[in-house]
Amino acid sequence: MSSEPRDFSSLPDLRYIRELAKVFRQYDLDEIEIESGEHRVLLRRSDFPAGAAPVTYARPAVAESAPAPNMPAPAPSPAAPVDNATYITSPFVGTFYRSASPDAPSFVEVGQSVQRGQTLCIVEAMKLFNELEAEFPCVIEEILLDNAKPVEYGTKLFRVRKL
Amino acid sequence: MTATTFPFRKVLVANRGEIALRVIRACRELGLRTVAVYSTVDEHALHTRFADEAVCIGPGPSSQSYLNIKNIIAAAELSGADAVHPGYGFLSERAEFAEIVQKCKLTFIGPDPAHMLVMGDKVRARQTMEKSGVPVLPGTGVLTSAAHAVAEAERIGLPVILKASAGGGGRGMKIVRDLRLLPQTLQTAQVEALKAFGCGDMYLERYVESPRHVEVQVVADKHGGATHLLERECSIQRRHQKILEEAPCSALSEPLRREMCAAAVQAARAIGYHSLGTIEFLLDGDRFYFMEMNTRVQVEHCVTEMITGVDLVQEQIRLAAGEPLAHLAREFHPRGHAIECRINAEDPIKFAPQPGTISALHFPGGFGVRVDSHVYQGYTVSPHYDSMVGKLIVHAPDRPRAIRRMQRALSECVIEGIATNIPLHRWLLKQPAFTSGKYDTHFLEASLDPEAIRAEADAEGLV
Repeated sequence: MSSEPRDFSSLPDLRYIRELAKVFRQYDLDEIEIESGEHRVLLRRSDFPAGAAPVTYARPAVAESAPAPNMPAPAPSPAAPVDNATYITSPFVGTFYRSASPDAPSFVEVGQSVQRGQTLCIVEAMKLFNELEAEFPCVIEEILLDNAKPVEYGTKLFRVRKL
Repeated sequence: MTATTFPFRKVLVANRGEIALRVIRACRELGLRTVAVYSTVDEHALHTRFADEAVCIGPGPSSQSYLNIKNIIAAAELSGADAVHPGYGFLSERAEFAEIVQKCKLTFIGPDPAHMLVMGDKVRARQTMEKSGVPVLPGTGVLTSAAHAVAEAERIGLPVILKASAGGGGRGMKIVRDLRLLPQTLQTAQVEALKAFGCGDMYLERYVESPRHVEVQVVADKHGGATHLLERECSIQRRHQKILEEAPCSALSEPLRREMCAAAVQAARAIGYHSLGTIEFLLDGDRFYFMEMNTRVQVEHCVTEMITGVDLVQEQIRLAAGEPLAHLAREFHPRGHAIECRINAEDPIKFAPQPGTISALHFPGGFGVRVDSHVYQGYTVSPHYDSMVGKLIVHAPDRPRAIRRMQRALSECVIEGIATNIPLHRWLLKQPAFTSGKYDTHFLEASLDPEAIRAEADAEGLV
């Protein structure tokens, strides 16, 4: 298979971020954002816009980068920006399928209301087809992956609104 | 040494921490690609970062991640890995895992599942060794009743030790000094073993009062070749956990060393072993007895690497590829002396694990100093896993100089934000019993001096 779940060579150079953090501190900036090619780096003071606490340089407040090319990253760590949306994530490592077979209709579509226990998708690994069921009633607001994409534990599959 | 043509190109490392890094480093030097697996807690861990690819396999608790066979195998399939290295701990000695790996047409970098089963069953291992002429302590097969146990204990002579057949690594053992207490102790031990290992089978062995734990590194190939890479002395233990290891063992005379190493090779040959392994012996004066075999790389493999100059993990991978022993098939002589201190995130006096975030970190360096560690400044030691944060290894021309080098290295080591057992090591290296080399497996627990260790902790940083 050609999938490369997380290729760190695509991340911006850490030295580059460190240099940015220095500039950030030197000029006492509140926010700096730089975009070049596929990378976007955003440094922001944790207290912005209040602007009082000192900025540490070992840990720039936020550093974002382009997502890895093939496999979506798992749910963000607590340090990442707050996201109020509800996501259904993969409890398995495997391949994401939206339907039971290539000819069958998809289990769910955007805008559809689903009941607790209703099948949302299949994650296949080693020919084992694991059905993923909704744990609560909700509306599917976005399907975050294309059919037959590889997923790891914690990969976001659906953005939903709880009912 | 000719270049190896590997039947695999991409190795999935089914572990975390320093050993995952150790394997990734070995693979990179061999030109093999690597896939790390990680739990959500280890998203920023170095093994996740240093591998060519990484797949998240579950949440923090290891039962759902590093022991989750289904997700690990799925990660291998997704990433196209064609070999699996299990490291130590976790799934490394689960025959079931090795079997599944092989059924999925992946190379398991380790022995056959059959070897793991024989050695995992301590009674079978004992019997196999005895049959092939490797010395074992006077003992029994599986005990059938309390009366059977008493009769056997009378034959062997007191004191005896009750051991769980499914135990190992010092777990599930009870010493019996009074025959009248044996039936009751047996019953308790059976219940405990059943709970801990899912098997209540017990056996008896003669108990040795003042033993040393000496183990021999063996390597064997798939063509019938087997040899040894000398011994390691691992008697500095607390609750059967090794804390400091050294090589060679200063208690062995040259003839005894030769005899013990030959017995270890014989043990490996007896089961047709073909990987890297360790034969643990109990040394009682100038007699030694087979204790158990570990069918994986050990935490303390580094001291052997230092005195032999052999990269054991690379050799393990080569052997899994079906390579012959080749350059290893020779007589090794200890090249100087090596010591390893296991640095644990724990209270140096109470030994309670101390998870937390490392706020400042400086590792020692200089001639003859090696650090194998996965931690960095800002790293959080998780309560989910083992408390070892790294290994400090020194190499010097002889034991006294190795001790001084370790003292020097420990004095340079700074780990702030969490408590570590560095003060314990500093205290230990000063003890006359340690420096003279005259210690047994009870030495550390018997002579622990909380006041003196506290003084070492207070003196830290005032060098």
